[in-house]
Amino acid sequence: MLKIFQRLWQVNWAEQWQYRANLIMYLLYWLVSPIIYLAVWTSIANAKGDVNGFTANDFITYYMTLLIVDQITTNIVIHTFAYKIQDGTLSGELIRPIHPMLTNALVNNIAFKMLTIMGLVPIWIILSFLFKPDFASVTWQGILLAIPAMILGFLIGFLLSAAITSLAFWTTRVYSIHEFYYALILLFSGQFVPLTLMPKVIQNIAQYLPFQLFLYYPIQLILGKLSTAQIVQGYVMAGVWLVLSIVFFNWVWRNGVKQFSAVGA
Amino acid sequence: MYYLKLINTFLKINIQMSLAYRADTIVNILLNLMWLGWELLGLNIIFSNTTSLGGWGFGELITLLGVFRLVNTFMIALIWPNTEKFNQSIRDGSMDYTILQPVNSLFLVTFSRISVWRVWDLVLAIVLIAAGISISGDVTTPLSILTFLLLTISGTIVIYSLWIVLIALTFWFTKFDNNVTILQALLDAGRYPVTVYPVWLRIIVTFIIPIAVATTVPLQALRGELNPGRVFIFLVISAISFLIASRVWKAGLKQYSGASS
Repeated sequence: MLKIFQRLWQVNWAEQWQYRANLIMYLLYWLVSPIIYLAVWTSIANAKGDVNGFTANDFITYYMTLLIVDQITTNIVIHTFAYKIQDGTLSGELIRPIHPMLTNALVNNIAFKMLTIMGLVPIWIILSFLFKPDFASVTWQGILLAIPAMILGFLIGFLLSAAITSLAFWTTRVYSIHEFYYALILLFSGQFVPLTLMPKVIQNIAQYLPFQLFLYYPIQLILGKLSTAQIVQGYVMAGVWLVLSIVFFNWVWRNGVKQFSAVGA
Repeated sequence: MYYLKLINTFLKINIQMSLAYRADTIVNILLNLMWLGWELLGLNIIFSNTTSLGGWGFGELITLLGVFRLVNTFMIALIWPNTEKFNQSIRDGSMDYTILQPVNSLFLVTFSRISVWRVWDLVLAIVLIAAGISISGDVTTPLSILTFLLLTISGTIVIYSLWIVLIALTFWFTKFDNNVTILQALLDAGRYPVTVYPVWLRIIVTFIIPIAVATTVPLQALRGELNPGRVFIFLVISAISFLIASRVWKAGLKQYSGASS
């Protein structure tokens, strides 16, 4: 099994490396909105002194951390997999004795991530010269606690996206469904603003949804903003959602593959 | 007149093409409404924590959202679909047929694809602009509305000129199909007044990828913050940038050698 993963890694790394120019463009595209939100909220905090206890530096550290966390927990499975179901190229992968989604697509996403993080590091350093974040509240314990949380966040996000991508077995409008799902992530993950500044209703719902595990929870862990009770609650939620997303993905995938009759077959 | 007739024909063809995908159109309209709801919620969250953003109030930000959506619709309905077609025509050589037509090639490259159903988005943008003006209570005169309209058009021309230059670069570097990504990426910066951005970002979106010229600037004119001299300068800039862009386009065409030869 290890050998299989090793070989898949070589193939997928080589494939992603080939598209490195596209990756840089993707990175630029993806960077803009956090930077805009950072600018908007720091300007408000500077004008008023603070926003509900958030100072300008709190916003700067939040979004600067978000840039890294988002790159670690995000995935592109909808863009790399849905078309395979639609044009039938999935057939070739289905006859192999390994799971197409949980091996090949997973490794492909991780290779993609490695490359974008390599591209992000220099950009991040330049941005920190421009914004001068003060990371005084960050501790090693916080970072160590956040690493498993980010891995969990990535796995949950990957499984949920994989399940939604697998809806392509039934409908051609899977991209529209994914767009709706993406809007939910924006709303409940803390992408737009730290969740504590959201309206109370949204905060209450967000607590029970998996989306905050992608961004808000790991970011706050790194920044050392959570109490012990909150840390425990986050990990419990992550455990529950990991199980739920495994079950959900398996169910969609199994029924989908049964449904699948490849183009041309 | 001849060109209007051509646009009419393009519209007819594109309506026929989109009628084949009726359900998609409805889904797209619903998604678009969802994003509008999201944008309004975002503004609502911002203004529940502050009363002004970069010196502008809630109403002005709604107007800015309307102007932004106006420009964005222009890009989504016309510019992006035509970019896709253009890039493909460079790759497979079908650009040959475009050049052979007895019509201005730039005109054909700009108007042959139109996402017709986006028309309703224009209506929505105008509603937002009007609602924003009435919420903010800014005094508008016929003159300020006229300069606002002129600057929106001239700002859009500036962005359009940049687009021409970017796609014309494909004539020199055939594999440059990421040509417009930078424009797409920075367009979002037009959602908020540039006065809130740090100086380096403000310089980028004003002078290098001039999104602000089509979004923040017209709104400043509407609020009477621009003197006639500056309005005049913006109009001159847009005329000059279009002249430069069409020069670059012509030079690019000379460079074009087809895909097969």
